[in-house]
Amino acid sequence: MNQDNRYTEFYAERDEMQSLELSDGIVSQASHTLQQGVGKREIEDESTRYSYTMDERMPDFFLEGHPHLCDARQSVHGGGVDTDFSFLLGGEDGKSSCLHMLEAVAYSLDPRVVKVKAVVLHSCKDVSILTSESDEAVHDHRLRTALMLNVVLEQDGRHEMGFASEQLQMGAEFVTDERIRRIAERAVAQADHLFRAVTPKGGDLPVVMAAGASGILLHEAIGHAFEADFNRKNMSIFSDKMGQSVCRPNISIVDDGTLSLSSGSFACDDEGIKSQCTYLVRDGRLESYLHDRISARHYGVKPTGNGRRQSFRHVPVPRMTNTYMLAGDATKDDIISSVKHGIYAESFTNGQVQIGAGDFTFFLKTGFLIEDGHLTQPIRDVNIIGNGPSALADISMVGNDLEMALAAGFCGKAGQQIPVGQGIPTVLVDKLTVGGV
Amino acid sequence: MKELLYKAQEMIRESGCADSRLMLFHNIENNICFMNGKVDKQQRSDSFSLAVTLYIDGREGFFYTNVFDDSSLRSFLRQSVMITRMLAPDPARGLIDPASYYKGDGPDLHNYDPAFEALTIDNHTAFSLIDAASKIDGRNVVSVDTRYTDRLHRAHYLCSNGFEATEHSTRCTLSTMVSVKGEGDARPMDGWGQTRLFLNDLTGDMAREIGETAYARTIRKIGQRPVKPGFYTMVVESPVAGHLLMPLFSAMAGQALQQHSSFLEGKLGKKIGSELLDMVDNPHIPGTRGATYFDYDGAATKPMKLFDRGVLSTYFIDTPMGRKLGMEPTTQGIHHTIMTPSSSSLEDILKLHDECILITDFNGGNCNPVTGHFSYGVEGFHYRNGICVQPISGMNITGNMLDIWNHLVQVSNDADPYEADLIPSLVFEGVSFK
Repeated sequence: MNQDNRYTEFYAERDEMQSLELSDGIVSQASHTLQQGVGKREIEDESTRYSYTMDERMPDFFLEGHPHLCDARQSVHGGGVDTDFSFLLGGEDGKSSCLHMLEAVAYSLDPRVVKVKAVVLHSCKDVSILTSESDEAVHDHRLRTALMLNVVLEQDGRHEMGFASEQLQMGAEFVTDERIRRIAERAVAQADHLFRAVTPKGGDLPVVMAAGASGILLHEAIGHAFEADFNRKNMSIFSDKMGQSVCRPNISIVDDGTLSLSSGSFACDDEGIKSQCTYLVRDGRLESYLHDRISARHYGVKPTGNGRRQSFRHVPVPRMTNTYMLAGDATKDDIISSVKHGIYAESFTNGQVQIGAGDFTFFLKTGFLIEDGHLTQPIRDVNIIGNGPSALADISMVGNDLEMALAAGFCGKAGQQIPVGQGIPTVLVDKLTVGGV
Repeated sequence: MKELLYKAQEMIRESGCADSRLMLFHNIENNICFMNGKVDKQQRSDSFSLAVTLYIDGREGFFYTNVFDDSSLRSFLRQSVMITRMLAPDPARGLIDPASYYKGDGPDLHNYDPAFEALTIDNHTAFSLIDAASKIDGRNVVSVDTRYTDRLHRAHYLCSNGFEATEHSTRCTLSTMVSVKGEGDARPMDGWGQTRLFLNDLTGDMAREIGETAYARTIRKIGQRPVKPGFYTMVVESPVAGHLLMPLFSAMAGQALQQHSSFLEGKLGKKIGSELLDMVDNPHIPGTRGATYFDYDGAATKPMKLFDRGVLSTYFIDTPMGRKLGMEPTTQGIHHTIMTPSSSSLEDILKLHDECILITDFNGGNCNPVTGHFSYGVEGFHYRNGICVQPISGMNITGNMLDIWNHLVQVSNDADPYEADLIPSLVFEGVSFK
């Protein structure tokens, strides 16, 4: 912001996406989206005015009042790169496409597979940001490819469905035999698990969160509550906790927009701030919120590169990028064997949080009972509830097996969906509320 | 803007595709947000987008763009035709039978307010309403977040086998969220809002009531905690009662049935709930949200029974799914649903029960679409003999959709007539709370 507390920003975007869907043995549906536009944001103190035009050349009326930016308009463009989507379809016969390969592997893994639906998605977004604080625009080029697989298995007239996906910031090189096999194995294994699984007895229980996908715990329990707009407005349960001890001293949690290839990474955020790795919690103490330009100015700190938006139609707000906990010392076996009676949580479908109360939930798709330190009965379909500060304080063991989740992850906030990444080593939470019979 | 549709259709024909469906959307929106009585954000949006579905010998492609200069649009559509040609043919895909199209003979649906056409942020009349809804006179207030949004939606449809139509609608919403200082570090939050189709139907008195209601709903949440786990009578408040119907609607979709991923497969014409599960979808009531004479594919809509005294009356079958499943098409989905109410108020119902839990919000959870097993986080209030004895949070309800709807024992009379779905408060017996 300049000295009279005014700030102006232009955000130009060109976003192109293609997807193909295989269903009933054929690739019979395709979609292709091309959108472009420029958003203008004006901030005075903490009040925002926002408008946009779909004309990426930025007509004069759009620049009214900002003559110093007229000369720079040529440096703002929404990319214009012609994206190559040909790899999605494979060879001329279409049979060598990744979707047919996914289908073939899925059917080969289990004779009970009766339905396969597979989707491949590739997108390319080019953004440029020009602000009143610089005469030069910054640019970013963001690729994303995702594979998703749904399988339905039938056994004795009963059906169960399994789902798996992976998503990274890659192009054609994303599609490999190894990745296709891994996705198919996970989807089929999930459906198989559900045939054997039961809904567990509910109640307050110790929960061992599996490495990788359990990063949803960090995302919902504390990640959103650390987004600085909620704290600036005094709405977050962590609003008064900066610098305080919030968990055991062997726990550190970061939000890292620089991770190579990960879904939530970028070169610069949607306000033109270079991506960074920010410690939310270092050695058990709350170290930083996640800031956009407005909240950073409010708190008198530098922006952390977390100002993100879904598209040129939206204003940026503080959002997570790739959120994970650093590895600890315990082995996975140590953690499981420490639990007399509890839950091992393995895969999830969704989560959410109430920022003010701190209550978060995530839905356990598959897991196991832990009895006398061993994984026993497969379990399924229960909602798990915790309270952010309590759950963080109740993390008593941290594994040495940090893993980033590869599943296609999206986060919704303020009506905006953005890709995010998450990860965690195996951890033990001493008490969470498990829905059950 | 209709000229753009004709031009795009011609470009598609020139690229070698004869069958197409085009939709051109024009949305104008104003958003104004106040935080603690001060302007936090003002946003004006005026956008166009073109959705194109192409059919080539049983192949179907979906395309979407907002880039309309001749050169770019021609290139985009040429590429779209090329992509569609590369797909495998699916005999179920194709434009619908022209006999199914809406013929344009329905009376005005009264869901469009021309006053929205001229509104901008700078001349907007809503600021006084937002100000009125922001004034909270109460203890423990941490923040007051008031939002006003209006939207003018206009859509032009053009299908190559004869359907052409335009529809437009408007709506505006005023809402207030309040957070208060609770026990310990907690800041309970809740809100209230109203939506209308016509701007003048949002009044100053209504705005003040929105603020007061938002505060009253929030302050009563202080001290939330779980109650003893067990089986309780559950009263689901009208504004969130539709949450329990969503899994039923998902399971009625043709795609879910065709993929064997619906717990309602094989249940058509069978009893799936108590006699109080009685509901219609009526898209033809003037002045209501969701009112429309045709679906996205141009098929004429009609009033339709969804559940008849507990019996599943229909699935949602569009034309492609009808061809795949060998069933007559019905509709693409719900538009404006109405559950048959009773004459009892929510207050009367709460007094009828020695003990019950009133659910005012759901907090996460899910329903397995194949089996119907669900587990949802809930919050609300513990009632004894009509008196609230404890605000509740941190609890889950667990069960199966095919079971819980058979335990629907009462419905109320309190559905909001301005909502898209008119679902009154619902009472279920014997629900497991953990």
